Amino acid sequence: MASLDYAHRRLVNTLGPERVARGEFERMVYSHDFASLPKIALLQWRLYPDFVVLPQTTGEVSALVKLSDESDLQITPRGGGTGGSGGAVPNRGGVMIDMRKMSRIVGLDAENRTVTVEAGATWKDTADYVESKGFALPVVPTNGVASTVGGAINSGATGFGGYRGGTLRDAIVSLEVVLPDGSVLRTASDRDAAGNFANLTPLFFGAEGTLGIITKATLRVMPKPEAAKALAYALPDLETGGAFLKSLVDAGTMPHHAVLLDRDHFVFQRALRSDAPEPMTIVLVSLQGPKDEVGDQEKTIDDLASKGRGSKLPSDVAGHLWDARYENYGARRLSRGLMVSANLVPVARLPEAVEKAAEIRDKLKLNGAIQAYLVDSTTAVLAPYVLLDDTRPSGGTALGFVKRMGDAAFELDGHPMGLGLFFVFNLRKMHGNATTFISSVKTVFDPRKKINGGKTLEVWTKYTWPGLRAIPPPGMAFGLEVAAILRRLKPTRDRFVRAYESAREG
Amino acid sequence: MGLLRDWHYIERAVEIPALSEMIREALIRALFVRDDRVLPKDLIGDLNRGPAVTVKVKDDAEVRKLVRVLNGQESTVSLGLSAEDYHYFRTRLGVGRTREFGLVGRPKTLLTYDWIVPEQRGVQLDFSSYAGIEFTEGAHRAIVQVGAMWKRLYDEALGNGHMAPFVPTVPLDFAIGDAFYGDAPFASYRGDFGSYVNGLRTISPYGHRARVGFEEVANNGTAYDLLHATGPLASEFFIPLSAAVRLDPKPAARKTLTYAFDDGAKTAAAFDKLTRSGQPITWVHVTDASAAKILRPAVPAEAFTVQVSIGGTATGLAAKEKALDALLAGFKSKAADVPNPFDVPADAYRKAAESVERSLFVGEVRLPARAFGDFAARLRAYGDQMAARTGLYASIRETGTVSVFPFFATPKDRTRAYDLSKGVNTIASKVPGAVFVSRLAHLWSEESHFRRRMDLLRRLKLEIDTAHVVQPLVAP
Repeated sequence: MASLDYAHRRLVNTLGPERVARGEFERMVYSHDFASLPKIALLQWRLYPDFVVLPQTTGEVSALVKLSDESDLQITPRGGGTGGSGGAVPNRGGVMIDMRKMSRIVGLDAENRTVTVEAGATWKDTADYVESKGFALPVVPTNGVASTVGGAINSGATGFGGYRGGTLRDAIVSLEVVLPDGSVLRTASDRDAAGNFANLTPLFFGAEGTLGIITKATLRVMPKPEAAKALAYALPDLETGGAFLKSLVDAGTMPHHAVLLDRDHFVFQRALRSDAPEPMTIVLVSLQGPKDEVGDQEKTIDDLASKGRGSKLPSDVAGHLWDARYENYGARRLSRGLMVSANLVPVARLPEAVEKAAEIRDKLKLNGAIQAYLVDSTTAVLAPYVLLDDTRPSGGTALGFVKRMGDAAFELDGHPMGLGLFFVFNLRKMHGNATTFISSVKTVFDPRKKINGGKTLEVWTKYTWPGLRAIPPPGMAFGLEVAAILRRLKPTRDRFVRAYESAREG
Repeated sequence: MGLLRDWHYIERAVEIPALSEMIREALIRALFVRDDRVLPKDLIGDLNRGPAVTVKVKDDAEVRKLVRVLNGQESTVSLGLSAEDYHYFRTRLGVGRTREFGLVGRPKTLLTYDWIVPEQRGVQLDFSSYAGIEFTEGAHRAIVQVGAMWKRLYDEALGNGHMAPFVPTVPLDFAIGDAFYGDAPFASYRGDFGSYVNGLRTISPYGHRARVGFEEVANNGTAYDLLHATGPLASEFFIPLSAAVRLDPKPAARKTLTYAFDDGAKTAAAFDKLTRSGQPITWVHVTDASAAKILRPAVPAEAFTVQVSIGGTATGLAAKEKALDALLAGFKSKAADVPNPFDVPADAYRKAAESVERSLFVGEVRLPARAFGDFAARLRAYGDQMAARTGLYASIRETGTVSVFPFFATPKDRTRAYDLSKGVNTIASKVPGAVFVSRLAHLWSEESHFRRRMDLLRRLKLEIDTAHVVQPLVAP
């Protein structure tokens, strides 16, 4: 391996000094993603990259990938860092490629209804741009303010609008990717990917940056809807909330988005902002489409709500909730840290799933909120979050919640989302005998495991000695299970929000 | 499907010194039409070797056992054949010889044409008896065995409170498995068939049951999405046995509106307007006069007939109908009582499919909605020039893409199929934004990114199927 100083010189020669960082502070910023990790994790992984680089062109990304052949340093691509499974943090230092300088919107093709953007553009910026031209994106990831186009594609994200507009995978026409050998590949024909038998885009959807570095994406856009309206309904409890979401599917309604937010979410919101709604379980429904259809759907949904013991909230409350849809995890400010567990569960079992999530949260004595939204006629996202303080010894044990939630998702015939560095043990549970097919993909694209190696399929440690270089995935599962057991043994519930506790006791 | 195998064969054939002088396209033509005068003897031998044995699959355990036999993990004795069949099986397959052979699934109905390079004396699987459909109480999905007919799924889904929104653009009597083993063109207004498949139950090249994707939920955030990446080539990577397909809930009321247009340009403008409206539609099916005569011989045919299927509440349907009337402005006449090709009794569907099947199809042309009229006019002119009556079936996506399946009233021979494919490719290349996506067009493509992708897929196939059991690649 070449020395770090040599690698630094080569990186500076490629990008210039202002786009290569190796200071302690910069490296620390990039040593974690949205998930809060206890410091003990540093015993296992070298989470601090050796260098942080900010390329601005596909050519520069390609040059950086080729450079790693000389320096033998691992490459970790990163977008907005909004993931929670460690996909965008290094495990053995190396070069962190922050893609956010590649944030240009290359152009909108109004005739063919596509927009081409660089991978570092955020979804919110892309959506705003497209909207200014009279179009809309079919789906926007739920953390779209910070989430980058490349990041969300790499994490196989779901989001706002997907129930009506289709999946994010189907919204991608093609990708420009720098492969591990430094060459540039277009993953599908630009003219019409779906009709092309050699469409490799799905391989990169959810690949967590392990097959190559996405530099540009061509996405479908659709004409801006004629009418849009947000509706909000208060439900007596979580289970009826889950049942109400299911009834929207069964009745054949086509909301743009429908999400269940439990009362605890609003308790946290209230602790932060006095103008937040009264704590109660709310289903927020966004309707978009032709004016007549929006009106017709509203009537149908109102009927379903009244049958499901729901009461309609004033339109200003619904409007306010919809406008604040991206500000979902403000509760993090109450506790220093927050952990989200994203899972896909069958719509048919949604009422049971939300109850189960609440049960796990309560058993582990955590403060947290349950959220769920519809993806398609079979699938819903169940994404509860819990508060934690990673500076306290008990903080890290909250990670056990994500493990338990993942197990629950499997029991419900669904699966957790995201493998990254922390949840690789779920891979075999997800794919069973097909796991070997999945591993073959990495072997074909990146046999030397240069890009984001030691993740998604296996868990590398920072050590390179035989026997210690990787953790068997069941070992990680065992560690998180121990964390969950320690949480249960903790005598008291977390007390981040006094109102939360009094509300529960009351 | 066999595209990867055909592509690999051609790639390797052009490396043969005697053939390297021959331009790629001429070689493809010679292989496709079996022009034995220009092909070397070895290549003719490869093309003559068909599957030696056909096995009618009734249970997935039989497929697993066959794979294990081909892998040498089990003896043919374990197949449980009678002494006579056992002898036949071993003789036909040449078990014991040092030659590779594999398994290939037989499509029930092929829209276009068979593959170029057949399975080399291996085993052909016939799934016509593997045709179960299973619905889950309360969930809008079905597990459909590959031999189950699409029409049966469509009817049974409606009977169970669901709706299968994907319909075959060319209404032939397809099995669901034809989407993986053949070229069945299922699609809805909202997307291609792939977007309705949550997962596949398959047998791996090692004889294990392997589920690719999921059954009850979609596939997001679970590493590489092999299900959608392999898509129509899935049967070259593993042996698909059942598909978990996502259905829609059955709407309270459904209606098919039939609009007749007398002009291609007006039709194209209406399509463009419709796909920019955001109207939720189940499917849009289009026929020209020739196709309409085949499908509905009793109804007078207009230049273009557009059938739009909508669903919703009774009041919602009325509003939708009004909106559609405005969006499809320019139509000559409208009717609500013309039967659509899909909601007819199974016998009538089969009978119509038999008539449709007589024409020669060359594959799909995808084009922007606004270019539909231009393409239709060019196709008609081409038919006149070739002295072959032409026609088309088409479907529309909300993305603004029209999938057109041109057909020719001409005998189904491979020379004709090749020449007409070439012609359709030429027409598509002249229409802005259009692309011919037939199997032959893929073999012709020399675009560098496409070749790179095919090469990656080939390497992936070889990595997954190291045992060379699932439609093994053949080199000349």
